[in-house]
Amino acid sequence: MLNKSVKPLTLVDLAVVLAVTAGVFFFFVRMVQVLDYHWDWQAIPGYFLFKDPETGRFHANMLLQGFGTTLKLSIWSMGIAFVLGTLSGIMGARGGFIGQMISRFYVETVRNIPSLVLVILFYYFVSSQFLDALGLDQWVRNQSAPVTRAISLLLAESGQINAFVSAAAALAIYEGAYISEIVRGGINGVSGGQWEAAWSLGLSSFNTFRLVILPQAFRRAAFPLAGQFISTIKDSAIVSVISVQELTFQGMELMAATFLTFEIWITITLLYFILTFSLSRTISFFEKRMAIRQ
Amino acid sequence: MFNMKKVLTAVGLILLMPLALCLAGETGDRLSKESVIEKIQKDKVIRVGMSTFVPWAMKDKQGKLVGFEIDVARQLAKDMGVDVEFVPTAWSGIIPALMTGKFDVIIGGMGITAERNLKVNFTTPYDYSGMSMVAHRKKAEGFSTLDDFNTDAVNIAVRMGTTAEQAARKFFPHASLRLFENESQALQELNLGRVHAVVSSAPMPVFHALKYPDKLFVPLEENFTKEPIGFAIRKGDPDAVNFFNNWIINQHASGFLKEKKAFWFESRDWEDLVK
Repeated sequence: MLNKSVKPLTLVDLAVVLAVTAGVFFFFVRMVQVLDYHWDWQAIPGYFLFKDPETGRFHANMLLQGFGTTLKLSIWSMGIAFVLGTLSGIMGARGGFIGQMISRFYVETVRNIPSLVLVILFYYFVSSQFLDALGLDQWVRNQSAPVTRAISLLLAESGQINAFVSAAAALAIYEGAYISEIVRGGINGVSGGQWEAAWSLGLSSFNTFRLVILPQAFRRAAFPLAGQFISTIKDSAIVSVISVQELTFQGMELMAATFLTFEIWITITLLYFILTFSLSRTISFFEKRMAIRQ
Repeated sequence: MFNMKKVLTAVGLILLMPLALCLAGETGDRLSKESVIEKIQKDKVIRVGMSTFVPWAMKDKQGKLVGFEIDVARQLAKDMGVDVEFVPTAWSGIIPALMTGKFDVIIGGMGITAERNLKVNFTTPYDYSGMSMVAHRKKAEGFSTLDDFNTDAVNIAVRMGTTAEQAARKFFPHASLRLFENESQALQELNLGRVHAVVSSAPMPVFHALKYPDKLFVPLEENFTKEPIGFAIRKGDPDAVNFFNNWIINQHASGFLKEKKAFWFESRDWEDLVK
């Protein structure tokens, strides 16, 4: 990748650029004609931050709050999905018969259920049986103010916490199935010679796996894993169906109140793009550094 | 003369009476302990399920909830001496969410229908609403009666799972319906001229027509249905029904509901709060 020289611009490239620009331009011209829409962008910044007229301090408004919730939700579900998926992937690749069966059962069940259905099933059945019985929301409500604030910073406010936890769990289980396959593929992709070489050096099986195989497997899996993390951010939009107050839900609520349909959808698209694009840039930065060290 | 059987039955009944009374007492006790009212008092918070519906409930510029319903719920919480926690919920899933205990009561402009009543209990109405209609000037040119819209060529957009959907099915069986999760989507479809009209609870259609007078109009002068609006609670909770009913009767009597209704439905003084 690093040694690749930059190719000179050809006539074909120019033609492609022109065609794409013309296409985008035509699309927007048509859209404005067809929609016959009164654009009103002025209101949008106020939905990020608003100034309290009494104190003069700025407060996060719906879009920023939704953005924060999407961020929290993505981080939690990515973290849990990574742990779940890695465990299941290792079990699938190196586990005994039972281990492999469990891993396959998990992956095949989850992969064959639409994520929307999984999220709804989780919310109405699983979380109603466990989370509501645990009384997590009531527990949060009874804590002192700093604790409540910390929990709402890390997770969600008391009224939202059950929905948030069940959404994060459902997303994590869903994404974990894909990560499991990626990790399994990464481990199986490390050539058998690596095992033999490590054994001949006197490493035990466990240490071989931990020190030789797993790092190589993760290097192979890094690229698809990154793709899966970006998917997680985008998939988090589906939890708006169970009324988690993330970006999509907040946007829909705003649209219902203001009817600024297109302005809000475009803003939301940009916000998701900021999240996913910065994540993919970060990952490619680390990839390059890893490549140099290697 | 004496029928032995009758005597035995009588004796049996007399003997059973204290037991029955005892059981009845216990049932009443248990019911009141399990009532959602008890739970609200214990938790010091009432969790209210609602959904954005202009001007029943909506977020203002500061992201705070405002609207007719919100005022009602806040007053209710105040009278009960507890905090109020709103749980904004997608309308199509609001009844399952109530049934699985995601919140204590729906105060969400919910029309009382027999179909819904089989799944949840309703209080007496705290308000009445009616179906109204807003139509596209070009597409529905000259339409002025319900029958004008009831033909194969007409498309009508409504919000899914609402009484507007039921009303549209009933009054326009020949028209084809387009269902949307949110009202803003249905209205967008109308503004684009892809449907002839949107059916929804008053006063939203009239407000929307006022906003785009060159494009839209109100074809029918009056609402074509009248429907009662109540709180919805989980089934089998006579205590809660009794408590909420009496609260509503009181608020009717004190003029609170009328005053709020005048502010949110007959004036547009709140417009600046929202946009």
